[in-house]
Amino acid sequence: MSLLDRKLLRDLRALKSQALAVALVMACGLATMIMTRSLILSLGTARDTYYEQHRFGEVFARLKRAPNSVREQLAAIPGVAVVQTGIAIQVTLDVPGLAEPAVGLLNSLPERGEPALNRPYIRAGRLPVGRTTRSELAVGEAFAEAHDLKPGAVISAILNGRKQSFTLSGIVLSPEFVFEAPPGAALPDNKTYGVFWMPYRELATAFQLYGAFNSVALTLAPGASEGAVIAAVDRVLAPYGARGAYGRANHPSHRRVDDEIRILQGLSVAFPLVFLSVAAFMTNSVISRQIALQREQIAMLKACGFGNAQIGAHYFKFSLAIVVAGVGFGAVGGVFLGHKLVVMYHIFFRFPQLDFLLDTHVLVTATLVSAGAAFVGVAGAVRRAVRLPPAEAMRPEAPASFRPALAERLGAARWFTPSFRMALRNIERRPVRSGLTCLALALATAILIVPNSFRDGIAYVLDFQWDIVQRQTVTLSLVEPGPARAIADFSHLPGVVLAEPFRFVPVELRAGPITRRVLLQGLPAHGNLSRVIDARPQQLALPARGIVISSKLAEVLHVRPGDEVIAKVLEGAERELTVPVVGLAEDFAGMAAYMERHALNRLLLEGDQISGAHLAVAAGQWTEFLYAVKHTPRAAGCVIKASIREGFRKTTAESIGLLQKMYGIFATIVAFGIIYNSARISLSERARELATLRVLGFTRGEVGAVLVGELVLLTIVALPLGLVIGGLFARGIITTVNTETVRLPLVLTAANYAFAVLVVAVASALSALFAARKLAEIDLVSALKLPD
Amino acid sequence: MPTAADSAPHLPAGNNGDREPVFHVRRLERIYGEGTAAVTALAGVDFDLFHSELIVLLGASGSGKSTLLNQLGGLDSPTHGTLRYRGWNLAAADEPGLTQFRRDAVGFVFQAYNLIPSLTARENVALITEICRDPMAPEEALQLVGLSERMDHFPAQLSGGEQQRVAIARAIAKRPAVLLCDEPTGALDVHTGITVLEAIERINRDLGTLAVIITHNAILADMADRVFTLSDGRIVNRRTNTRRGSVRDLAW
Repeated sequence: MSLLDRKLLRDLRALKSQALAVALVMACGLATMIMTRSLILSLGTARDTYYEQHRFGEVFARLKRAPNSVREQLAAIPGVAVVQTGIAIQVTLDVPGLAEPAVGLLNSLPERGEPALNRPYIRAGRLPVGRTTRSELAVGEAFAEAHDLKPGAVISAILNGRKQSFTLSGIVLSPEFVFEAPPGAALPDNKTYGVFWMPYRELATAFQLYGAFNSVALTLAPGASEGAVIAAVDRVLAPYGARGAYGRANHPSHRRVDDEIRILQGLSVAFPLVFLSVAAFMTNSVISRQIALQREQIAMLKACGFGNAQIGAHYFKFSLAIVVAGVGFGAVGGVFLGHKLVVMYHIFFRFPQLDFLLDTHVLVTATLVSAGAAFVGVAGAVRRAVRLPPAEAMRPEAPASFRPALAERLGAARWFTPSFRMALRNIERRPVRSGLTCLALALATAILIVPNSFRDGIAYVLDFQWDIVQRQTVTLSLVEPGPARAIADFSHLPGVVLAEPFRFVPVELRAGPITRRVLLQGLPAHGNLSRVIDARPQQLALPARGIVISSKLAEVLHVRPGDEVIAKVLEGAERELTVPVVGLAEDFAGMAAYMERHALNRLLLEGDQISGAHLAVAAGQWTEFLYAVKHTPRAAGCVIKASIREGFRKTTAESIGLLQKMYGIFATIVAFGIIYNSARISLSERARELATLRVLGFTRGEVGAVLVGELVLLTIVALPLGLVIGGLFARGIITTVNTETVRLPLVLTAANYAFAVLVVAVASALSALFAARKLAEIDLVSALKLPD
Repeated sequence: MPTAADSAPHLPAGNNGDREPVFHVRRLERIYGEGTAAVTALAGVDFDLFHSELIVLLGASGSGKSTLLNQLGGLDSPTHGTLRYRGWNLAAADEPGLTQFRRDAVGFVFQAYNLIPSLTARENVALITEICRDPMAPEEALQLVGLSERMDHFPAQLSGGEQQRVAIARAIAKRPAVLLCDEPTGALDVHTGITVLEAIERINRDLGTLAVIITHNAILADMADRVFTLSDGRIVNRRTNTRRGSVRDLAW
């Protein structure tokens, strides 16, 4: 080891706490980078392996009913590799221990052998076997876990109006249901929605579908065009009540996984950038101060014949040591947080195996990026140091010159105490350093705003969705659309106070080249339960003509009220209708379109038909109501608001809670680090001044106040600035999350602001106190000596 | 000799008469380190210093004069011996007690002035008057050192002599009982040095403040009432000037 390196080690030891503060801030950036890149790798790998091994389809279609022979026509389409047909039907479930009915999606398994596509993965037990004494079902893992169901458990389902009990043969996963939730849902609700598999013969027989199918998945031959195949599939299936084929990009489960990866990609750049910039600034201030203190040493080294390159390298190595520590902490932190988040992803995504995979490339990138940041941080200071002619460096630096601060020049001086003026003038004398310190503190405040604005946004959505838009207690849907008189049956269920019928029909809306599939909801013009709300937010009355669509849908289709869209009905006989857009609705999950129900009936050339009803149920008769619903054969699905809401609340609390903790720690580290570092540098620069004050009779506390006064002022400016930047961060991220499946409004509450201010203020105060402990070490007698 | 104030728990405030010593020092020792590494900086010093005296402590570098000044100024505590300020046991004072003592009783003048660069002359003085019990106005203090015209200048805009006079104004604005000056002219040329010494002398004469100047410059001895010469931690020579010389007549 060269003597210069030995000097480096000793200098580092003397500066260990400051070096540690910088390394920790750097580690925050690297940890987010390593964590997000590794999660992208983990999710991507788990998804690709799963899709490959379990042969996830590439094009999907739902239809009413087609004979099995149509499969050959599908297989014959050019570009189609493998076709798998089957039955998928939604039913009402009666789960032991769950008072309310749940919705189950029953999927058929081929009579012989494994499915060619979308093969289930068996987690426990086995696949169901037909023709045993009691019918068997395999259950999706998320639903099984939510209800603590084990193979052998018994549950009941209403199949085509007949209640039947089933034994659970096993717990399975499927590449079709990585995100096990109803289409369009942003968050899973595993209590009331589950996926099941049963043998084709039994399912088909129960619904009089034997020899037919209503669901298709297929894969593409290499080089085939997805668009062409989808068009061909639509042509083949058109006579059979097809609802339109779609590719993976529109597959609800696939899409949700994709959205998540996209969000991670955004985070993997944004946050590391913030933290590493702050770390670069801190490195710069530490090294600059170190160089200032070692002016004479540098002069001596140069006088003794050391070259500029050697001296430059010496100080650059100093910052590299910090980088090495930062990368070390960052890697450990990133891996730790990554593991935690992978566990959280298990709530959302069901893979046979989702392991944390460390993206080793990112370690190299992270090291290079932070070394680069550190280099930028020290380059200027080192350049100044090596340029210094030896003779000049031997002399002490010229005394600092000051002038009255701006506020004083503007005439506010008479209210200021001398210590306050010292703080103001020190800030103004080093505007760049003060500005960057302030900005770093503001960033610490800002990152705290983000997770809480997510939480508040989600809470707002839930309140909006269920207190303003959907005020029903429960939604009952019919197996098949039927005459409106069914509403009378629902009205007579025990406890029902109000029943409002609806007619839902899947449509494809087209404006120019853009198409989107949505559920067109036919509702009463002035509904009391399920209402259409505009951006104000006030209820929109549905006019007798025209369609109201989600504002997000209008944005996607590039239409405005007054424009026309073409609605292709994806149920029954295929029809295309041109309807004017008459209003925009505010909603946050999925995209929807609304019409007055009778207007919709007329467009569909049908009579007074409904597909279900929203009900308000008196709380006192809830148990009787649920009992009655479970035994109502015509009700195919029953969705209960309160349980969904509770499910959402739990899921979001769990995932946001982790983010809050993570960002809280990061913000604390940044605030603590920046204040500690600034206070230490200030202490080093002003040691003589502070010692003088002590000699002149200032108490340790009074001198401490002089030392941190400047930082207090900077913090006071930084906090509101941080709140503004935090709002912008939240807006930026929410815009990334603003997808067609999930949207969040930007909600910034006083409580959110107060929390961020509190955390940063407390961290700063503790850090300043911690740094001020060093005041005890000030040598009073040193003030009497001539400056070195 | 003092008797009454021996057990006084509080810092004595007023001037109790000309013949009670401000400092009472007996067999004062200060030893740094322990065992074989022990270095004796003060090896038994005795004296009493009185109100309105001007004392010059002479000595070469390493003679112990700075150590002695540190003891008198409450910056350090002796290892052995008696050190009383107006009867109060300064040797046994704790840290807050020493801080209070410096705050109320002592005015320091440093060799390197030690002004706060971010404050003007007036503000440097005001910084101290704000924490004192009965200070004079900063303007009055600056007038006493002849700096009325330059009160709103920053240290970087003042000459060395002017800076040192600001430091003296800062030291006396609290109306201290004792003014301790550590090589006050060490960094100044003759002419400037004389204006600074005149300021110290005027304060001593007009306000009756006990002034202690430590220096290695023997010429300053003529302006003193008494002169102590230190060597190896002991007072090796004591001299009393029957008539103080004028600062104007000093030459070095």
